[in-house]
Order: sequence, then C-alpha cells, then structure tokens
Amino acid sequence: MEKMLNEYLEKMEKYLRPVAVSERVDIIKEIKSEIQELQSNGMPAEEIIERLGNPKDLAKAYLGDLLAKESRFSWNRFLIVCAFYSVVGFSGMIVIPCLAIIAPVFIFCGILTPILMAVKMISYIFALGIPYVENFGIFVGGIVTFNPIVEFIISLVIGALLCLVGRGAWKLLVFYCKKISTTASNLSI
Amino acid sequence: MNIDDWKSQIKRGTLEFCILLMIRQQPSYGYEIISTLEKYPIIAAKENTIYPLLRRLLKEEYITSLWQESAEGLPPRKYYSITDKGLEYIAAMSVEWENLINVINEIKGE
Repeated sequence: MEKMLNEYLEKMEKYLRPVAVSERVDIIKEIKSEIQELQSNGMPAEEIIERLGNPKDLAKAYLGDLLAKESRFSWNRFLIVCAFYSVVGFSGMIVIPCLAIIAPVFIFCGILTPILMAVKMISYIFALGIPYVENFGIFVGGIVTFNPIVEFIISLVIGALLCLVGRGAWKLLVFYCKKISTTASNLSI
Repeated sequence: MNIDDWKSQIKRGTLEFCILLMIRQQPSYGYEIISTLEKYPIIAAKENTIYPLLRRLLKEEYITSLWQESAEGLPPRKYYSITDKGLEYIAAMSVEWENLINVINEIKGE
C-alpha cells in the first residue's frame, strides 16, 4: 500500500489510543479493507484520503460514540480530573484575586497620577497655592527635586506604564479563566 | 428556508433504520453499505458516520460481524448480518414508522 495511505492509518491509530487494542486493530483493519477496495476500483490515493476525510475526525467519530455509550470508570481519568481541579482550585485562590485587584487598581493609579501632577503643575504655573500639592511629586531619595512641569511629563509616562500593567493583568485574568473553562470542558467529553 | 438542516435531522433519525433494513436484506460490508446509501442523497452518509454507527449497533447486539476472505486481489471484508434482537428492533421501528406516516397523512387531511 502507498506511503500516504499507510500514514493515514498510522495517524488514525494514534488518535484511537483511548480505544482497547483489540477494537482498535479491528477498526483499522476495516478502514484498511475499504482503502484496498477503493484502490482495486482504481481510485488514486489522494481521492481515497479526501473521501475518508481527516484521520483525526474519522477517529474522533469512533471515540465520540464510544465515550457516549461506555461510561466505564477509569482511574486514569479520575486522577487527571482530580489533579486538574486541585491545581485550578489552589492557583485560582491566588491568581484570580491578585489579578482582579491588580488590574483595576493599576489602571486607576495610572489615570490618577498624571491628574494629580497636572493639578500641581497648574498650581505652580499660575501660583495658585492649592493646599497639599507640595505632597505630590517625584521624590528620588530627597536629593533631586524636579520642576513641576518636568514632573508632570514624567508622570504621564509613569501613568501610561501603570495603565499598561493593569491592562496586562486584566488580559491575563481573562486568559486564565478562558483556559480553565476550555480545559474543563475537554476533560468532561 | 433551511431545508438542509431539516433533512440532516431526518437523516440522523432514520439512518439506523435504513442500515438495519439493508443488512436484513443480505449480509453486507461497510463499503457496500456506504455505496448503496450514496445512491439515495436523502440518506447518503460518509464513513465517519456509518462505521461508528455500525459499531454501536454491534455493541447493542442488533447485528453481528464476521471477517471473510474475498476473491484474490481483494481485501478481506467485514460482513454484518442481522440478529434476532435486530429483527425485533426493526419490527418495533417499522410500527413507529407506519405510525408516523399515518399521523402526517392525517394531519395533512388526506
């Protein structure tokens, strides 16, 4: 038999791994029988493969029916499900609250920083003497003091960075949740 | 109007019946069943539907299977034949089928 067709059967065999060996052999034998039948009818290998469709899909068609029919208890499966939920439970206790706090707080700070600095700058430029603005500022160990205008420009950069971090945390949170729900649905086929 | 959707639902519901009827006519092998079905677009189905379906019917003991060597140059074929349980199942399905046809005719008012 041609290499292409053999590869097809090998792939199918790989995807059929959850099936018991004797049954798997029988499934492959039956598909092989059809392939040979089609070949003897003069159908080229490409057409045969096109007719049978993706080996993964064909294998899955068997698996779907099998899993729906046989709800046999398997320790392997049980352990995988246990491990999954333990990891998710523990990591979720830390990851989700952390990210859920980090994301909004960072974004809030990112917006607040330039606003406060703008207030200080305006107060400085127009000499308004707004109380407490001297408490805002960029303090580098009390050695260097910046001009409020420079401080405002620096604060814009810092604000942008904080917003980026907040947004990153938010995306990470969404990704984490999505990943968990898809994994969970895959586990309970 | 989406008639294809409805047709595929009919197919899903009746394919099992059709395959069992075909196997009752004469013991058949997978490819033979698929090529016969191909002649009738309303119930035509591909390998990825028929083979798993046959396997399920085997498990439920409506049919049995037997590998048979064929003539020279041809591969061995897995022939499916009907069991007594399968015959009972066909009889029960036939009753329901008649019933459905009658109901539809009655509702249509013919």
